[in-house]
Amino acid sequence: MNERGTGRRSAEAPARSVIVPVAVVGALVVLGVVGWLTTPEFITYRNFQSIVRAAALIGIVAVTMTLITIAGSFFSLSVSQTAAMSAISFAAFLSWGFPVWVAALAVILLAAAVGFVQGGAVALGGNPIVVTLAVGAVIFGMVAWLTDNKTVRTGTDAAEWIGTSRPLEIPTQTWAFIVITVATGIVLTRTKFGREVTLVGANRSAATTAGLRPGRVAVYVFLVSSLGAALAGIFTAAQFSQGRLDHFDGVDIDAIAAILVGGAAIQGGEGSAIRTAIGAVFIAALQNLMVLRGFSFGVRVFFVGLAILVSVSAFTLIRNRRRLA
Amino acid sequence: MRRLAARVETTVWARLALFVVVFVVFAISDRRFAGPNNIFTIFEGFAWLGLAALAVGLTIIAGELDLSVGSVAAVSGIVAVSIVEDIGLVGAVVVAALLGLAYGAVQGYLIHRLKIHSLVFTLGTLIGLRGLAFMISGENTVVMKNLDIADVVRQQLWIFSPFSLVTILVFALVGLFLVYTRYGREIFAIGGGRQEAAAAGVPLVRPLVLTFALSGSMAALAGALTSIKSGSAGPAAFEQLLLPAATAALIGGVSLLGGKGSVIGIAIGTLTLRFITSGLSLGGSPFYVLTLATGAVLIAGVVLELVVERPVVKAALRRRRARRRAQAGARAG
Repeated sequence: MNERGTGRRSAEAPARSVIVPVAVVGALVVLGVVGWLTTPEFITYRNFQSIVRAAALIGIVAVTMTLITIAGSFFSLSVSQTAAMSAISFAAFLSWGFPVWVAALAVILLAAAVGFVQGGAVALGGNPIVVTLAVGAVIFGMVAWLTDNKTVRTGTDAAEWIGTSRPLEIPTQTWAFIVITVATGIVLTRTKFGREVTLVGANRSAATTAGLRPGRVAVYVFLVSSLGAALAGIFTAAQFSQGRLDHFDGVDIDAIAAILVGGAAIQGGEGSAIRTAIGAVFIAALQNLMVLRGFSFGVRVFFVGLAILVSVSAFTLIRNRRRLA
Repeated sequence: MRRLAARVETTVWARLALFVVVFVVFAISDRRFAGPNNIFTIFEGFAWLGLAALAVGLTIIAGELDLSVGSVAAVSGIVAVSIVEDIGLVGAVVVAALLGLAYGAVQGYLIHRLKIHSLVFTLGTLIGLRGLAFMISGENTVVMKNLDIADVVRQQLWIFSPFSLVTILVFALVGLFLVYTRYGREIFAIGGGRQEAAAAGVPLVRPLVLTFALSGSMAALAGALTSIKSGSAGPAAFEQLLLPAATAALIGGVSLLGGKGSVIGIAIGTLTLRFITSGLSLGGSPFYVLTLATGAVLIAGVVLELVVERPVVKAALRRRRARRRAQAGARAG
């Protein structure tokens, strides 16, 4: 997977541009206006809530995965399996009678280990796509083997509040989505670690020369992404009082779609937590509008694919022009 | 002969050894494994997986990655099954492969023209074509009423079937094309070093369009023949195609750095993976154990490449090769 076309980036950090953020927000606004003009029930507070709620799980996974993209390691293809593993082990720990916090802690440690291994392999020079594809297959196989490919029930309602309560009339998942987006955004823009991630992604050799350690950054970003997937797993297991292996099919692709629609640069060095969150909301809103309009499943998937193609093409054209200018 | 042996990389021997060891281990542990019927089954698996592995492997050799192969196979399977009873077996397969070829050529051209990373572009087409598969199939599995056509594709001719013979023919043609034509060598050139290739006067558009056109047509061929063989095509089919295809290509020696790999290697990689999955299913392992094994093999491949590519190991290998060459020179002189 070569660097594309125009060659290496210049040594300084990529110039901040307003075009990409404006395009991301603009796309959401245009969608909102189209929905408002064509479908009255689209722009209601109730529907807005259900859109954000639908975006929340994917959003949590996508926002935490954005760090991987910004750090120049493309994506993770193992978040679906990590989320499923987390949901199943959370349910299993609860069914064995452990308290909720112990179960959650154990799941988080397990997911952290999975993230650490992948980040380590990438730090040693492994291709992120292939490493996560392989680890995802191994996680899937092992969990299916250990559970006989059966649903694991929690057998208790002790954790139900995590998945179903609504503080201030807003579901817990939506809260988590908002908090994680804001926290990741602050980490990315206001902390040393965040700037390290951006620099390593923008120009690896310059970052190394400047004394940063790309390997360590790789380990951390995969760790964060794995923890995001674990949270999605815990929320889902708590909500349905069970863990199922096929519950997260396609979550990885949806999360990557949100990152791309949010305008993160695949070459690394550019991207934002808020924009990825907007990307997740955009896709959820597009889906929601098409459901309201009575589009069939196939047509909806087709248009989501088209939206991704249009947005990645547009962002690439904007960036290439900027680099030439 | 010695010069040829010296040119072959060290890892090739490791791959060949793995190929032989896996076969021997399963052949000893299960009497049925090396029987003609199971060899036939292995080649049936080789027939579809080989095409997919070649499709993915080619794009990796060109320094790209086509994620959309599974969705292409699904769409093509639905198209082929829908038209096969009207225009016949050969017609349906040719139409499906040509559609895949045209689609791949357009995809390659756009990737070149937009200067876009193939990973993000093919992720979009991966999703879009999956939607298309659901649209054209009416969200249902499409079935053939006349299963005689299916029987033609899967009839057993010793250890082969018409399907696996087609795949072997495609492997031979693509292999000859890559090694003996200028267009084929250009694909290696842009994968090994794109800027160097461009500086040397390789027009980037041609190899990129060719790579993706070949990848699209082979994914389409795999989807069409597999679906006709089973007499049905579902819109959700081939969703997990990337994992075994990439695994087969990588244990077959295709380098993720681009520019390195061979059709024979991909064939050996595919067969090695089929040995493992076939041996495990003979022993009664469920599908998820096969997924686990495929993932483990892929990890082993990644680790092998990492170890070989490490500067320390590389230097040691270079020293050993130099020593050998010196010895050979001394003997000759």
